[in-house]
Amino acid sequence: MTIHPTPTVVVVDDSPSVRILFERGTENLDVNLMIFESARSSWEYLEGNKPELLFLNIKMPGKDGLTFLKELRELPLHKDTSVVIISSKDYAQDRTIANELGAQDFITKPMPIKAITDVVLKYIGN
Amino acid sequence: MSNAYLRFWGVRGSHSAPFASHLGIGGNTSCVEIRVDDHILLCDAGTGLINFGNEMMKQKDIREMLIILTHYHWDHICGLPFFVPAFVPDWNISIFGPGIKAANIEEYVSAQMKAPFFPVGTETWLAKINYLPPPQEHCFSYGPMNISYDNVHHPGITYGYRIQVRGKTILYISDNECLYLDKSIKLKYGEVSPEEQVLYDRMNKEEYASEIKLIQGADILIHDAQYTPEDYQKKRGWGHSCFIDTVNTAIDAGVKELYLYHHDPNYDDREMDSIYQHAKDIIKQRKASLICHLAVEGMIIDLE
Repeated sequence: MTIHPTPTVVVVDDSPSVRILFERGTENLDVNLMIFESARSSWEYLEGNKPELLFLNIKMPGKDGLTFLKELRELPLHKDTSVVIISSKDYAQDRTIANELGAQDFITKPMPIKAITDVVLKYIGN
Repeated sequence: MSNAYLRFWGVRGSHSAPFASHLGIGGNTSCVEIRVDDHILLCDAGTGLINFGNEMMKQKDIREMLIILTHYHWDHICGLPFFVPAFVPDWNISIFGPGIKAANIEEYVSAQMKAPFFPVGTETWLAKINYLPPPQEHCFSYGPMNISYDNVHHPGITYGYRIQVRGKTILYISDNECLYLDKSIKLKYGEVSPEEQVLYDRMNKEEYASEIKLIQGADILIHDAQYTPEDYQKKRGWGHSCFIDTVNTAIDAGVKELYLYHHDPNYDDREMDSIYQHAKDIIKQRKASLICHLAVEGMIIDLE
């Protein structure tokens, strides 16, 4: 019998209400949810760990999510990490950049709880 | 003239507007000079930069400047191919803008000066060009000016700059769509559960608090105010603000002086005057102390 470890889902977003949406959206899923409020605060973890799924907000204090993703992609560890962008910036140019940086999906804010559940299930299953 | 001043060289957004009906406000695109003694900071390099460069060629004392770019949309960089000091050997020009390394800035600036779009490339620039790498803490200094930046609500990666000099705080936010999330929430509010509505309300307050924080403490705020409410309805999601949202946000943030900026190139002087009167009415109705101006090409603000 093979035992699979609980998959880790990382969220980088400065919004406390987004934190609650993610907690509600994953409460019935067998995932280890980790939430960071900025690119900088997530760095220590992401520098040495590869989550099964990474959600990144774009417009945050300090480094924006797209610039951060570009830096992460330069690390061999995150060359192919599954990334979903969550942003209020519903602009074609942001979607294009996200796509070029290998993001799997782009969710616009505000998102319902079910959209979070669905996208986690889509990319890591349960 | 004072030793510390700010001058508008270009005040239009999107594209230049060299029409007789528009020239009271000005037809050049984004470019603002902040000069303190011999230090020159240029905010953006739209067509306004061309006239600035021609003026600089008439003097011999200064040979150095820093250009900070909010982003790389054409209206913010299209003055660079015609910027004479860049083609003259004894000039020293530093350029900063979005990117994860200095080479990104060079790549983006150079992209518009390539065949078949332009006959000569940046390799023909004879000035010493110094592309600045991003600083660790999103802040750096240039002479007596302390500069910091944050990302704003506009397509792609776009910065808004905070410049502190001579005891004054100047905010240069040329392109920013105020209250975008607020409108997105209103569109989706009826479709979600009461629990989600509560969270959306909270998210909206958080977003507005961050918009306020971005401009708080400004003595001078130069901010995107591109559209009338009628045009904003058609152009929501283009990354620019309705001037009413700009004025109200500036009042809520306690800004001292607001310069409505990045004017739509379709608006002639009469339309711009109507926007200005409307902005002043809002301030009067709200009994606010905000001083509001239209940014006009050639306008000079004393910073002493």
